[in-house]
Amino acid sequence: MSNVNVYQQRPADIAGQSPLHHAGLHELVGKGRKNAGITLREKKLRGHLVIRGDAKDAGFSGGVHKALGLELPVALTLVADGDTSLQWLGPDEWLLIVPGGSEFEVERKLRTALDGQHFSVVNVSGGQTLLELSGPKVRELLMKSSSYDVHPSNFPVGKAVGTVFAKSQLVIRHTGEETWELVIRRSFSDYFWLWLQDASAEYGLAVEA
Amino acid sequence: MSQVNRLAKGGRIDRSQALSFTFNGQTYQGFAGDSLAAALLANGVDIVGRSFKYSRPRGIVAAGAEEPNAVLQIGSSEAAQIPNVRATQQALYSGLVASSTNGWPSVNTDLMGILGKVGGGMMPPGFYYKTFMYPQNLWMTYEKYIRKAAGLGRSPTEVDPDIYDQMNQHCDVLIVGAGPAGLAAALAAGRSGARVILADEQEEFGGSLLDTRETLDGKPAADWVAQAIAELKTLPEVTLLPRATVNGYHDHNFLTIHQRLTDHLGEVAPMGQARQRMHRVRAKRVVLASGAHERPLVYANNDVPGNMLAGAVSTYVRRYGVAPGQELVLSTNNDYAYRVLLDWLDAGRKVVAVADARSNPRGAWVEEARARGVRILTGSAVVEARGSKRVTGARICAIDVKAHKVTSPGEVLDCDLIVSSGGYSPVVHLASHLGGRPEWREDILGFVPGPGNGIQQRIDAGAVNGVFALGDVLANGFEAGAKAAAEAGYKAVSGSLPQAEARQEEPMLALFQVPHDKPTARAPKQFVDLQNDVTAAGIELATREGFESVEHVKRYTALGFGTDQGKLGNINGLAIAARSMGISIVQMGTTMFRPNYTPVTFGAVAGRHCGELFDAKRYTAMQAWHLKNGAEFEDVGQWKRPWYFPKNGEDLHAAVARECLAVRNSVGILDASTLGKIDIQGPDAREFLNRVYTNAWTKLDVGKARYGLMCKEDGMVFDDGVTACLADNHFVMTTTTGGAARVMEWLEIYHQTEWPELKVYFTSVTDHWATMTLSGPNSRKLLAKVTDIDLDKDAFPFMSWKEGLVGGVPARVFRISFTGELSYEVNVQADYALGVWEQIIEAGKEFDLTPYGTETMHVLRAEKGFIIVGQDTDASVTPDDLNMGWCVGRTKPFSWIGKRGMNRDDCLREDRKQLVGLKPVNPNQVLPEGAQLVFDPKQSIPMQMVGHVTSSYMSAAMGYSFAMAVVKGGLKRMGERVFAPLADGSLIEAEICSSVFYDPKGDRQNV
Repeated sequence: MSNVNVYQQRPADIAGQSPLHHAGLHELVGKGRKNAGITLREKKLRGHLVIRGDAKDAGFSGGVHKALGLELPVALTLVADGDTSLQWLGPDEWLLIVPGGSEFEVERKLRTALDGQHFSVVNVSGGQTLLELSGPKVRELLMKSSSYDVHPSNFPVGKAVGTVFAKSQLVIRHTGEETWELVIRRSFSDYFWLWLQDASAEYGLAVEA
Repeated sequence: MSQVNRLAKGGRIDRSQALSFTFNGQTYQGFAGDSLAAALLANGVDIVGRSFKYSRPRGIVAAGAEEPNAVLQIGSSEAAQIPNVRATQQALYSGLVASSTNGWPSVNTDLMGILGKVGGGMMPPGFYYKTFMYPQNLWMTYEKYIRKAAGLGRSPTEVDPDIYDQMNQHCDVLIVGAGPAGLAAALAAGRSGARVILADEQEEFGGSLLDTRETLDGKPAADWVAQAIAELKTLPEVTLLPRATVNGYHDHNFLTIHQRLTDHLGEVAPMGQARQRMHRVRAKRVVLASGAHERPLVYANNDVPGNMLAGAVSTYVRRYGVAPGQELVLSTNNDYAYRVLLDWLDAGRKVVAVADARSNPRGAWVEEARARGVRILTGSAVVEARGSKRVTGARICAIDVKAHKVTSPGEVLDCDLIVSSGGYSPVVHLASHLGGRPEWREDILGFVPGPGNGIQQRIDAGAVNGVFALGDVLANGFEAGAKAAAEAGYKAVSGSLPQAEARQEEPMLALFQVPHDKPTARAPKQFVDLQNDVTAAGIELATREGFESVEHVKRYTALGFGTDQGKLGNINGLAIAARSMGISIVQMGTTMFRPNYTPVTFGAVAGRHCGELFDAKRYTAMQAWHLKNGAEFEDVGQWKRPWYFPKNGEDLHAAVARECLAVRNSVGILDASTLGKIDIQGPDAREFLNRVYTNAWTKLDVGKARYGLMCKEDGMVFDDGVTACLADNHFVMTTTTGGAARVMEWLEIYHQTEWPELKVYFTSVTDHWATMTLSGPNSRKLLAKVTDIDLDKDAFPFMSWKEGLVGGVPARVFRISFTGELSYEVNVQADYALGVWEQIIEAGKEFDLTPYGTETMHVLRAEKGFIIVGQDTDASVTPDDLNMGWCVGRTKPFSWIGKRGMNRDDCLREDRKQLVGLKPVNPNQVLPEGAQLVFDPKQSIPMQMVGHVTSSYMSAAMGYSFAMAVVKGGLKRMGERVFAPLADGSLIEAEICSSVFYDPKGDRQNV
């Protein structure tokens, strides 16, 4: 623990502002079209940790499992348990999303379980947010936005990819038959929000808190 | 107002829905289901435009994408203007406004026509070619003339109100064309469960089946079309795209489809709907079922309105219930063309005669026409059309095809419609988009697509494949669809196909240009390419002038240029060139085709990447505050950074002067969140830094920070920034704003490919941390009000960092400076940054805390001689060139990136361009950035340039202008003069000095 600088970065008693705070999503709840083809919800202010290590090292994968109770997911997939999800980002990189405020505790658990090994855990909670899109038209919206093939035969539930989206990049996760999640970076969030509103206009967009 | 050419019955139109429209200001009526061309013909509109070069009146020739003349301008309002619309491909809607793109003020009386006829040689063939060979400056004049005369249509000058979007598609089988072959292929592939896209450019699926007189299973062919579509709609993995032209066939089986979603409804899309959509398709296999275009015969005056394609007339009669004339003459060399006679007779019109080039045609269609009393003149052809604004007669002569001679004086028959058919040209355009050469087939007298050669995973079916008989087309299509699905990994499903009537057919006779009794050059014009006004004589002239390659003939004459892409004229043109040179068509070869097959709107190309969505805009967590406080923004990469904060109508210079003085005299605050930040962890992190930075990191203690320079292998500076040691195995690196992503990649590449043994990991934290910089002599006092960190100068010295609360939020505070003043950079998790920023603003009131932007930052750092990578460097500058040799760890034990490169002989020259300061002799003159410098202003032009200005400003703190510049050998020229001769003839004189202008000892940042 002493080899790295880790501390509670989130203040206990101050409300945070998610990357889409300025969009006032809560004011849009219930104002969209009835039977909208797409429903959007920001799963805001979660804890986001990037874990890097050697997946082939049983000590590393075992340590992650011990700390989280989740197996390291294989390429292009994610595993989830309630509000905790672990996603493969690259051959030696994973994204762990946990309930907001627990990230410091989870990081400490990971560091304890992996003590003595070579790995890294980095808190990126302030740098990104999670958007959930659900409804029968989400797939078409994704087809307008990304050149990645989102057909269920290529993108089954449980798959997650980092890919192009409009003129930028993000992570697409397929979490339920008609439910998808986007992991977007804070600085791009306004662009993606504008894009999503535009691309969903013909299908109708509803916002949930 | 009456539709003089509308038949009393028949056609796939809805006669209960009359639609009115205007053409060249005149109002007409048509019916729902009409194409604009059908409606114009129904109303007896003979002339739709004037020709490109000779300004001859032109009428509608074809019924599909190959139409060369009826290329119109659509749109009733300025914003809705669309150029280059083929009337044959535009569905009629109520209120449609169309006009000719050529021949103003009126297509019927055209001044250019007179000039064209009298002048004749104003634009001889070869005009383009010759023009390009003459001095460049004349081209501008020519271009103006050509554009005006050519009437290519015009783009709207107002913003298009419509939405255009794009959709990415992936499929196992993309089928191009929904005629008989395409429909059969779709059924075969679709039934296998494959993901299928069926795209067709017409208003309805069915292609030739929509207007053929042939039957399937004894019923009208259109019945089977309806049945096939109904079945395809039940297959969940089949996507049907009507009104969708497959326009481009690109690498890796990537195809673009231009779908017109609402163009048939009106000129502006209904609320909330996209007007057009570009589908970007990745297909495992493509079934090309693009059909064939009927080829006209080339004879004298074959461009006079009333000369049409035989098959097109069948289409107008049977699909639209329009008979474009009364008395018809057919000139042909094949059996299929005879169908138009039967259709014409069924329509109750008169067939005057058929001129068949063959000596004794006896095919089934021929016999059927003969049985109905049609006069057939064998061994003959229409050699010349009579009439000027409309056909009035046809001169038919006996011809000797082999000798290319007219062998009888012939007779002139009265008629108002001459239709011709010279065979069928497979639509090979898409197949050749990637360079695949079409191959000549003598048996069908046409080019078929060449093999895909693995570049195109493509199977051809139907007419494009040289298969013409309906029963064969269906079988060929079904087989292609099944094969494509199988190759994509699906099990083929068998199925039955409807029975077509079997007919005996006879081969066609090769005939392209019909002979005339005069030599080609003296005969009335025989048009080959109507859209580009290319004549047979022009092609012969080209070959005589020595342009023998097919590509040269094309460029010399403009054959197949522009939006036409040689759909009607190409093969006739090649054949004429070949004959003129005495070689075969195979020897002649063909030109190639490029995307797009038909014109695509810019809207569809751009999709939604326009206006607000043109590019991603990145914002920091403090953006709301910046907006509220009137910031002007500057683009830095995709970031929007506050540029300056004008007060009371200040301009840039006034605001920057005020902001600079505020920082120098009290305290300012800058949003520095955009700087790249990379978290580096691992026992070898320090060693890794030693290798990627030029300077040494071994002795940087925990709690300290250090400036670092990064070079590429060539020893040239590529990024810089401050990196802090957070713990023994933990660093945080900052990069330039624009360099964040490429530095991250750079680290990963070196780690993965060169030094995988180093135990280190990198993670971008640029967006996680928001950074606010407090700078100025009062920054310590200000920060003390909102933090629990001990700010004592010894407890928290320059180039170190501390952890603590700022505004109640856990923060890392770095005491580093880019202004030369006492500075603190506060980093907090971005979710809490705005609140912290606002607390600091509030606390700063007593110090007149001034928010400042990038412009002030630039001035302040330049006063200190701090470089900006990318402004003062340009990838040709070494650390020594920057006089930053102090930042190079020459004795580091392990080599580092750039060491070898910067020690090359050339990088050690003493007369390299080196970064220095410049003080203009006139302290009020600001050198323009980028200005070239010379030592001797009196030398003659071209002067010897010795460097250029990289940064230049007026300093409010110092009271004079100053600049940074690279100058040859500049570091040894202190005190010497350089001159900047400017474009306006003026000269600015400056003295070379140290690039550190302000507080050279660095006392102010170290208090």
